[in-house]
Amino acid sequence: MQYDHYNVKIDAFEGPLDLLLHLINRLEIDIYDIPVSEITEQYLIYIHTMKELQLDVASEYLVMAATLLAIKSKMLLPKHDEEELEDEFGMEMEEDPRDELVERLIEYRKYKEAAEELKEREQDRSLMYTKPPADLSEYVNDSQQEKADLNVSLYDMLGALQKLLRRKKLQRPLSAKVARQEIPIEKRMSEIVDQLRNFKGRKKFTDLFPISDREHIVVTFLAVLELIKRKEILVEQDRNFSDIFVASMEGEK
Amino acid sequence: MEIINWKGIAESLLFAAGDEGLSLKQIAHVLEVEELQAREIMDSLIEDYSNSSRGIMVVELAGTFQLVTKKEFSAYLKKLVESPSSASLSQAALETLAIIAYRQPITRTEIEEIRGVKTERPLQTLSAKALIKEVGRAEGTGRAYLYGTTKEFLDYFGLKSIEELPPLPDKISEEEDSFQEEADLFFEKFQELDS
Repeated sequence: MQYDHYNVKIDAFEGPLDLLLHLINRLEIDIYDIPVSEITEQYLIYIHTMKELQLDVASEYLVMAATLLAIKSKMLLPKHDEEELEDEFGMEMEEDPRDELVERLIEYRKYKEAAEELKEREQDRSLMYTKPPADLSEYVNDSQQEKADLNVSLYDMLGALQKLLRRKKLQRPLSAKVARQEIPIEKRMSEIVDQLRNFKGRKKFTDLFPISDREHIVVTFLAVLELIKRKEILVEQDRNFSDIFVASMEGEK
Repeated sequence: MEIINWKGIAESLLFAAGDEGLSLKQIAHVLEVEELQAREIMDSLIEDYSNSSRGIMVVELAGTFQLVTKKEFSAYLKKLVESPSSASLSQAALETLAIIAYRQPITRTEIEEIRGVKTERPLQTLSAKALIKEVGRAEGTGRAYLYGTTKEFLDYFGLKSIEELPPLPDKISEEEDSFQEEADLFFEKFQELDS
């Protein structure tokens, strides 16, 4: 039996701080008064277990192990007078070797909780569905075609792609055959250029994505970015609606 | 005297705008009314929808009004979709995003200091999903990129604006928390921009 290729990846923890918080919770420890020996021992047991399972132990975990050991040894040393610090209120405080770690743990825990909050909101938001904007271009007369000074950034493009992917999700047929075919970006680029040249005008960005297939969408998107870079196509965005349009750069040779 | 059906007009505009949504400014501009009146019209429209048995409602997302389906029908809408697994963000991405949301503008190094782990991949994921963007360069050596959240972020989490984020869970009582002040300043600045 060969287990060489059988890699288990434990995603249970987001890093050493996450692991420490978990241990603190499990051992019901007061975060402001961490028994360093105990927590270090528990922490090292976990690291050893990971190693025994032949998991890759990220270097951050090892750095934290070293930090814990350093704190542990500092706690054992007799205190020196010159190690007394003055904080900003002018009060004399003894420096506790654990302070910095506690501060980091508390800081990290705040964002961990905020992340939970975001997760709930994400779930809640996913219950509401929307639809793409109606195509009102037939009502546009030439005088309105004037564009604002354009500056479509990569982020606008990404935003447009995100919306597109979200919509395509809803338009997906109820059953689909999966046929994997690699589409070369070059091929898709020439397709797009031809499509735009024949069209003799500007097309909606979203119309460049006829096929609701993730791979096709991604390749098309990359092709569009490459064409913009090569200045073979023009990207425009109108003032009022933030729909993105593309047109062929009719080459002035 | 002709009575103008403002609400009906606003409703048709929202229908046409779809998931792009319309800002109060845009609505006021099209209706040719003051923003205050537009606000009243929209509030009344929101009220109408929430009191009716219709399947649609008006929500405020990322500074725009949008027509969306009501949450209680989501189970039926999912049946329209082939694979109803809503791809949600990973824990790493959510933590990274939480840090950026509250501490923006912030560099990758600063994020990694808080999380205690490498954060390159979550940042790539979040950028690709247009939830964060580079908002400038930090002072000093290296001129590291500064990250901030986007409009798409607000939409994705159903937020009207960044101020709608709940305050950070704060359990630090005795220490004076300078970050909290920074955050307050940051939100104040935002409100100034908004008003």
